[in-house]
Amino acid sequence: MNSSSGSAAGPSSGSGDGSAPRRNSKRPKYSKFTQQELPACKPILTPKWVISVFTLVGVIFVPIGIAALMASNNVVEIVDRYDTECIPANMTGDKVAYIQNDDIIKTCTRNLTVPKDMDQPIYVYYQLDNFYQNHRRYVKSRNDAQLKDADQANKTSGCDPEKTTKDGSPIVPCGLIAWSLFNDTYNFTLGNKNLSVNKNGISWKSDRDHKFGKDVYPKNFQNGTLRGGASLDLNKPLNAQEDLIVWMRTAALPTFRKLYGKIHQDLKANDIIMVTLENNYNTYSFNGKKKLVLSTSSWLGGKNDFLGIAYLTIGGLCFFLATAFTVVYLVKPRRRVLLCDTG
Amino acid sequence: MCRVCVYKTNSNLSFSFAGANDVSMIQMADVGVGICGQEGRQAVMASDFAMGQFCFLKRLLLVHGHWNYQRVGYLVLYNFYRNAVFVLMLFWYVLCAAFSTISAVTDWSSVFYSVIYTSVPTIVVGILDKDLSHKTLLCYPKLYGAGYRQESYNLHLFWITMLDTLWQSLVLFYVPLFTYRNSSIDIWSMGSLWTISVVVLVNVHLAMDIRRWVLITHVATWGSIFITYMCMVIIDSIPIFPNYWTIYHLATSRTYWLTILLTTILALLPRFFCKVIHQIFWPSDIQIAREAEILRKGSDQVGLKPDHDINGRV
Repeated sequence: MNSSSGSAAGPSSGSGDGSAPRRNSKRPKYSKFTQQELPACKPILTPKWVISVFTLVGVIFVPIGIAALMASNNVVEIVDRYDTECIPANMTGDKVAYIQNDDIIKTCTRNLTVPKDMDQPIYVYYQLDNFYQNHRRYVKSRNDAQLKDADQANKTSGCDPEKTTKDGSPIVPCGLIAWSLFNDTYNFTLGNKNLSVNKNGISWKSDRDHKFGKDVYPKNFQNGTLRGGASLDLNKPLNAQEDLIVWMRTAALPTFRKLYGKIHQDLKANDIIMVTLENNYNTYSFNGKKKLVLSTSSWLGGKNDFLGIAYLTIGGLCFFLATAFTVVYLVKPRRRVLLCDTG
Repeated sequence: MCRVCVYKTNSNLSFSFAGANDVSMIQMADVGVGICGQEGRQAVMASDFAMGQFCFLKRLLLVHGHWNYQRVGYLVLYNFYRNAVFVLMLFWYVLCAAFSTISAVTDWSSVFYSVIYTSVPTIVVGILDKDLSHKTLLCYPKLYGAGYRQESYNLHLFWITMLDTLWQSLVLFYVPLFTYRNSSIDIWSMGSLWTISVVVLVNVHLAMDIRRWVLITHVATWGSIFITYMCMVIIDSIPIFPNYWTIYHLATSRTYWLTILLTTILALLPRFFCKVIHQIFWPSDIQIAREAEILRKGSDQVGLKPDHDINGRV
């Protein structure tokens, strides 16, 4: 027992005629860590464990799936694609010319029918499809130092090609993200009453407090030959320009929604809402789509069946596997064997 | 003579000799073991392993050699998996970003992934994990055969691991994508979700395969997940970074936590299923020996004589 507990690496005392005390003097100090005899738990996949794991996953996942699916079904959502509908009949052949012509009036009226009762707050989003806000050059095209601090207005590095005007004065806020600010507007009326849209608090509070300065004002914005989107109110500091802040939180996917505002009024089923919108933003050059979305929310967020369906599927599959393995273990049990008495 | 032996058997060969004139033979061998003794220490200096007595050779081969092979084989596969799953997940995102090589995961998290978030459990498992106790291994030398049958690392296992990696990276990428489809999530929140999902997944994957849990293993594995969260909280508290405040924003969302749970379970389900099937229908010698060693207190079957392996093969 003693001679076999020495570690293999590193020589111990020489063989030959060493007496017992001399041999022990070079033995490494015993500790549970170096001899790897720490108390340990050795899990093994017995039939009991396998069936328990599958059953546990099933028991946890199925109720979550049902709850998620119910939450998603309770969300009421109205989605209306208006970019194709709002083009006048005589210009459907050349949409880009229509959108870039400032003389054509871009006002458009849409009617939305409420399918089910909607409880306040109702979130108004604009959804863009095929718009790659996650393109690398687009994401990098901003300068956070300039947005935060009025003294750093000259810092425009990284904002190519929207850095400075032709005579070299810096653009505030610079960069492609700010330059392409979304500029469609929406007004809602129900019957003959105006539905007011609350546009305060639509951006992250952390952005308003720490990323956009309260003494930074727009300068030389959209002054170039090519307008990319909305203009900014020159008298409002950047941290009060919530549409800009929302837009500059670049979206993760090419199909995304951004919060436009909130309606603090309940809507009843079969109400007809008239939307008067300004179809200003050019998505026709790149085959993008524009949609207006009105949505309630649940404890899980917006309308999305995926989580509910996925949880239910996995839960059901695990229950099935638990049953299958029970049958397998009953039909083909593993014979357990006792080894020689090793201690 | 050494070269002739290698050609004939086509396997790894180790020689251990005491004398000074055997140094060249030790150097030629794949693994050379030297005995330090009265004839000097030249053999020791030329060898890969050195020991004091010939009787230690049995322990060196059967116990430490076996453990070393199991650990190294498993860790090579695990490290391929750990790095490939992260890179593949980043790659799938590029397909959704007009091929513009954007990474949703922040630069700091990308660097910390290999260094802090997932490296410590690997090291701890590589040092401490044992599949069988030394008593079993000494009692049944035939278990050493797992080594020269290449049961812990072979081409087949490698490609199965890569297939599993592909599945896990697809789950890691697409589950959050489908969950947050058509929503107002921003790129850095998505990256934060992907970062924590991959770290949790990779550590739970390792946890499923650890065969001997000591306190240090628990601290390393679960501590890594905790440290990841701490690092992300710190990184997300620095205003100059673009991902400022994302973790605080996400942590209040129930969808975020449910997505992490779903990703982990769905990604590991095929692996767990295959593991169980393999252990029921095609158990390896080591599996059988492990079961006998751990469960022997409850068993009342007839004992086998040592020196035959469990299936009766000689």
